[in-house]
Amino acid sequence: MGKIKQQIAELLEVDEVKENDILEDFECWDSLTILSIIALASEEYGKTLFNDDIRNAKTIDGLIRLIDN
Amino acid sequence: MNLLFKNKKITGILTILPANEVKFEDEMEHYNFSASKSLKLKMAMGYNTHRIAEKDATISDFCVYGINYLIENGLLKKEEIDALLLITQSPEYFMPPTSNVIQGKLGLKQDMICMDINQGCAGFEIGLYQAFMLLEQPEIKKVVLLNADLLSQKVSKRDRNSNPLIGDGASITIVENSESENTIFANIKMDGSAFDALIIPAGGFKTPSTPETGIMHEDTAGNFRALDNLVMKGDDVFNFVQTEVPPMIEDLLINAKINKDDIDYFMFHQPNKFMLNKLADKLEIPREKMPSNIVENFGNASGVSIPTAITFNLGNRLTKESFLICMAGFGVGLTWASLIMKIDKFNFNQIIYF
Repeated sequence: MGKIKQQIAELLEVDEVKENDILEDFECWDSLTILSIIALASEEYGKTLFNDDIRNAKTIDGLIRLIDN
Repeated sequence: MNLLFKNKKITGILTILPANEVKFEDEMEHYNFSASKSLKLKMAMGYNTHRIAEKDATISDFCVYGINYLIENGLLKKEEIDALLLITQSPEYFMPPTSNVIQGKLGLKQDMICMDINQGCAGFEIGLYQAFMLLEQPEIKKVVLLNADLLSQKVSKRDRNSNPLIGDGASITIVENSESENTIFANIKMDGSAFDALIIPAGGFKTPSTPETGIMHEDTAGNFRALDNLVMKGDDVFNFVQTEVPPMIEDLLINAKINKDDIDYFMFHQPNKFMLNKLADKLEIPREKMPSNIVENFGNASGVSIPTAITFNLGNRLTKESFLICMAGFGVGLTWASLIMKIDKFNFNQIIYF
């Protein structure tokens, strides 16, 4: 859990993230960040994610459950 | 599907790119994103400059200019051309085939075959396969394979998803029978259920262009485009490439009984640097063996991207040396194809600007 939160924080360019943080509120949230998350999920977690899955996840918690369940 | 070809060779490649160069920064104002976000995208994807043809240019202009260049420089004779094979998604007309238009403009002999094939990202592989098959005919000695696309005309300037990477251009590849024995291992797969992953929705017979299809709409990511514009589902394409391309290459190597280390270069289609680096890493290939510098210098001109990668990265070396290369194209269709062949002492291998 700690590792994935750290990886997501890096992609979102912040020091740390909290479960209930809203994805769209991050300063750097855009299609490139979403693509980086798709790449992370595919490379390190063997998960195939799509743009809409990630946008619909809404929060950090939702995103973590999507990538690592 | 595995394919096999015997005793075929490429004897030269000429790439014809637009003289007009456009910088990423000069188009940033059209995008609905902050400058810092766009510059971050530029860094990550390896965008910089791309070559964009003049609005009224057509693919036959590029192809005729290139073929005349070869004729004038003694690298090709008009009467030797037994087949003009054109791979494009920017045809000049729905009818007739643009290859016939080119034949007419050049005044080539009637005793030949002209053929257009609608393919994009895997258009170089498809073109080579078709050229190899034509060469099985005893009277066909020389096939002129033309890859040409001017798709920038169909990309919205306000689409940050596609506009920074698109490029225009054409390439001419001479394909012949080889006197020495060789075997070319190849494969191809298609998935038409994902036909809309890369598509120009309007302008064909199904949805003709109307004033309505020209109206720009904003998508969820903040890009503006109309139904007349090219649209790419970036996430679908990324997932498709990362899932399908590595196993295709592994299968090809096993089938050809060739070690990965023995391949000198992996000349792949050039979507962007990000995707190619991910592919190289997944295949455990050193990144320097898989050139990814075409989008940053010229843009991605669909089926022209592999000939551009070969001419730009190997240049004159290929007129003196030989290389074992693995090529792979993947995208629109969906189509994905790869082949391994030795490319040996071309008569020419260069880029010209038009």
